[in-house]
Amino acid sequence: MTRLRSEIDLDRRGFIKKVLSGAIGGSLLLVLPQGSALIAQQLAGVGDEKEPYLNGKKFAFVVDITNCIGCGTCCVADKNEYQVPDGHFRTWVERYLIDDQDNVYVDSPNGGLDGFLTGRDDIPNPLRDTFFVPKLCNMCEKSSCVQVCPVGATFRSPDGFVLIDEKRCVGCSYCVQACPYSVRFINPVKKTAEKCTWCYHRVRKGMQPACVDACPTQARIFGDLNDKQSEVYKLLHEPQVISVLKPDMGNEPSLHYLGLRREVT
Amino acid sequence: MQPGFKSSPKAHIVRIVLTLVAVMIAGTFIRQAMLPDEFGKLGHYRPGAVEDEANRQARIMSSESCFECHPLIKKIHVDGVHKTVLCEVCHGAYADHVKDDVVFATMPVVRGQDIKPMCVKCHNKIIQAMPPESIKLVAFPEHLEEKKVRTHHICDQCHHVHAPLKWVHEAREMMGLPPERERS
Repeated sequence: MTRLRSEIDLDRRGFIKKVLSGAIGGSLLLVLPQGSALIAQQLAGVGDEKEPYLNGKKFAFVVDITNCIGCGTCCVADKNEYQVPDGHFRTWVERYLIDDQDNVYVDSPNGGLDGFLTGRDDIPNPLRDTFFVPKLCNMCEKSSCVQVCPVGATFRSPDGFVLIDEKRCVGCSYCVQACPYSVRFINPVKKTAEKCTWCYHRVRKGMQPACVDACPTQARIFGDLNDKQSEVYKLLHEPQVISVLKPDMGNEPSLHYLGLRREVT
Repeated sequence: MQPGFKSSPKAHIVRIVLTLVAVMIAGTFIRQAMLPDEFGKLGHYRPGAVEDEANRQARIMSSESCFECHPLIKKIHVDGVHKTVLCEVCHGAYADHVKDDVVFATMPVVRGQDIKPMCVKCHNKIIQAMPPESIKLVAFPEHLEEKKVRTHHICDQCHHVHAPLKWVHEAREMMGLPPERERS
């Protein structure tokens, strides 16, 4: 009888233990977030909140023209990320067709947002060279847009990103005219200037820009030039056909193009 | 001129200088009041604007976020040749689907005839300027004729959209044929 009694007691203790641990485990499961967005640590050494700005980093963007297939995935991702109004583009893709007489044909139906679904049958001569050129903000070291802004709404942040202060912008469109690369537009809803920011908010969280994330052929490469392990450092320090757009404008862009032809403007 | 009132010969200059000083003082105060706090601390801009931009919510998350709740799709997707295609490009932004870790809207799934334009965006041979060596390019309706299917067939009748060669490989294996050359 006593043996049985002690066994029951033991069982009761075990039972209570199990119930308790189950309750604790269950409540922990309720507290812990599930299905939360995984913010992938895609950029080395970025995203720790100790520093207010990305000090000691020099970001560069490389677009590999030889890899671009003109699918417009980057444009779709960009439109989704910023809910850009129809007819305006923070990034877009241009198709360049050069015939054997050196005539250059450029088109970008709907900014490449729907891809390029048809060929061009209005070109009489055989084509010599064909390629796609994705366009986005050049993040110039000496940006024209920053110089012309009369209210200090466009500026170069301490970490080298040219950004727009929506609260200060008066929508005078001086910057739209000043930009040699035509990346700026006036948002028809907010009536303020808008442009590609290289996804500053994502970079600060340690994520890649949305278009870099979305590109299926790795034609867009983003990284820190001060990090010698980064892909952009390797690309810009190797013998490559690499250039910037309109170098004679003296804007010193941080956006580099791999395989750039001289016809591209 | 009234008798007994003698104006100084420099009165007009004094008046102008006093007015200018008053305007300058007023201007300084008005400027101080109009400029936002800390304007000019880092440069000719409002330092808070950098934080405003940094605090913007990311709407596109990586495919990893989607795979957390969709493990079966992940299994198919990451093994296929479409592994580099981001989920949110075809299905819409993560932020339109999940808010505060709770699903609040279903994502669009492209079906039927609408699938073909999505495939053709990347795989159309007719588009000039596409580097032919990077991905598989096909022409329509030649591709369908070559594969001996009806020309109104939709791509996903033979190709799984997440892993386009999955069913092709399986069919060839079943028939005892050698596997098709795969592009990475």
